[in-house]
Amino acid sequence: MSELNLAVVVKLEPDLSEGNISYNADGTLDRQKTKNTLGPHSKIAAQAAFYAKVKYGGKISIGTMSGHAANNALQIAMETCDADLLQLYSDHKFAGADTIGTAEVLKNGIEKMDGKMDIVFSGHRATDGETGQVGPQIAWKLGLTFLGNVISYDVDMEKRTVTAKRLVNLRGVPEIIQEIEAPLPVFIAIDPSYKYYFDTVSLRLTAEKYKREAHERAQHFDDYIQTFTREELGADETLVGLIGSPTIVYNVQRVPKGKATRSAKVLDGSNPEHIRQTVTAIKEAFSAMVIK
Amino acid sequence: MTEEHYRHVFVIIEHIDGKLLPVSLEMLGEARRLFDDYNNRYSANEKVVAVVLGDNIQNLSKTLIEHGADCVVVADDPALHSLINKIHTKVICQICLDKDTASKIEPSYASEFQRPRYMFFAADGIGRHLSSTVLAELDSGLASDVNKLVISDLEISHPVKTGGKKIMYNKTLEMYRVDFSGFLWTTILCLDNTNENYPLREYSPQACNIIPGAFEPLKPDSARTGNVIDFKPKIDEDDLKIKVLSQKFVESEVDFDNYKAVVGFGRGIQESPEKNIKLIEEFATHLNAQIGTSLPISKNVFSASPATTSTYMIPARVIGTSGQKISPMLYIAFGISGAMQHLSGMEDSQFVISVNPDENAPIKDASDILLRGRLEDVIPLLMDEIKKQLPEMEIK
Repeated sequence: MSELNLAVVVKLEPDLSEGNISYNADGTLDRQKTKNTLGPHSKIAAQAAFYAKVKYGGKISIGTMSGHAANNALQIAMETCDADLLQLYSDHKFAGADTIGTAEVLKNGIEKMDGKMDIVFSGHRATDGETGQVGPQIAWKLGLTFLGNVISYDVDMEKRTVTAKRLVNLRGVPEIIQEIEAPLPVFIAIDPSYKYYFDTVSLRLTAEKYKREAHERAQHFDDYIQTFTREELGADETLVGLIGSPTIVYNVQRVPKGKATRSAKVLDGSNPEHIRQTVTAIKEAFSAMVIK
Repeated sequence: MTEEHYRHVFVIIEHIDGKLLPVSLEMLGEARRLFDDYNNRYSANEKVVAVVLGDNIQNLSKTLIEHGADCVVVADDPALHSLINKIHTKVICQICLDKDTASKIEPSYASEFQRPRYMFFAADGIGRHLSSTVLAELDSGLASDVNKLVISDLEISHPVKTGGKKIMYNKTLEMYRVDFSGFLWTTILCLDNTNENYPLREYSPQACNIIPGAFEPLKPDSARTGNVIDFKPKIDEDDLKIKVLSQKFVESEVDFDNYKAVVGFGRGIQESPEKNIKLIEEFATHLNAQIGTSLPISKNVFSASPATTSTYMIPARVIGTSGQKISPMLYIAFGISGAMQHLSGMEDSQFVISVNPDENAPIKDASDILLRGRLEDVIPLLMDEIKKQLPEMEIK
């Protein structure tokens, strides 16, 4: 019953929190002024890996592809899950990759980590690109069983299986919770609503110990970073970056205004008479209800 | 480019226990509209192919043909009963590459067919993952969250794809997707690499996943005919170790359907999120209204107390294409500028009032009244007036 070998793939993203985000006058994101940080979904993925480390024992490696030094993201990720190893995949040849070109780099990275992985975690989707494709594509390239939108999971260490609850959102029917069992190794894309808790005192103590350890270690996170170029990863140059990407962004435009479906009466919110009219309209909307 | 190797549009149909999801018919409708035109312009023999996997699902074919499919490939097998990504991915790829199936779809392409030209999936809890893994296996491009599609011949010059040369890309699928702010529309293309400095690579299918609700289904036409092709899937023994232990429906955390009024808020809360949400909460209580939000609110854009964040800044409250579609008697939008993705979630409301400092905000076009002002200034005035005009008893 050996310990688990765990990996987390994370992403440095624009920090959408208050004070760090900037919008252009037209409502679009100002990428120049917006700061970068560990993506919120990546953080949840790191928390999910921490759960396994505390509960079942194991080693966590973190991988990220970034043109930036990505230090901030790797530091936060390390502190979040008490990671043992950090990997940065950085090469100008990776730039401009679409999801499949990105997945190729991360696949090569995970293969460079120490030993075969039992579980690889990713976030649900990035908040900036938000395609949600990279996780499942890495899984497929690594030959791992992909489990998406996982809201909780546990591992049977003897059977070497994972049991996970998945939240499946479909239009036209209520949400579905699917409980699924799969042999290790698996790839888990964690749902935003994932939360863990430790149900015994001893697990909570272990978690505290690891957190302290993580905090210490994260102060010197630089010492743990391994950096890889494309060549060092052994990634095929025709499969990464722009040349390895089937898709391109052809055009970006403002979403044209749809046809007006209603013609609004414009009222002034500081005019008491207009406030009165508005509330009368609310009242009428409600009385229309009564008639129905 | 050897484009004769690539034919047809394959639409991956979704259903739950044999009940078709609306998005399946919406995708078929759009595929049919595109291909009616395509069949005229390019080639009459390329087909709209519905691909459906499941257990005991033979009866779906008729509905799919009535809604626009020229043919339906059915993989009916007990192993396909549950939604297991790995198994479904492999079977879809088998269908895409199977020469025998291709010759049944259209005999005249039997010898040259290699893979589908286009592929549509749903951008939902099934199709997002499935499209990603299928396209990883087929090694081609995928655009996500698409809400507009055009097929055209484009002359492209791209530093990497074409080495800067102008190259004609015929029958290119322009896939439009809206970014998270809701204001930018990006066109994604999936193009072969023709750059002479690299080995030629052809990418097919050109694939996308499509936002549910983005397209209209066709009216069913019982006079339509099509052929139904049975496909015998090859299931790997090892994959049968992946088991669905249970699957049940749960009610959404946030119910809009049982409320006569809904109050929504957006980025207009930004100057003081915590305080403003409290104000909106109080206002909603007065009207016995449910509270919803625009998409950016669910993305940790604003900081607030943990209680407020976990109650209001969550995906379950989002009104729009990435959230719930509402149709209350009264919808009041506070500080929501009105991105298309939000508007399509609230446009069925009976009466709409929006409160916004910018009287030309896009939400105006979806409102009956636009009350100009900042929500923190206007809400207290509205509440005072409501107390005068609408005693609480009457509202509830």
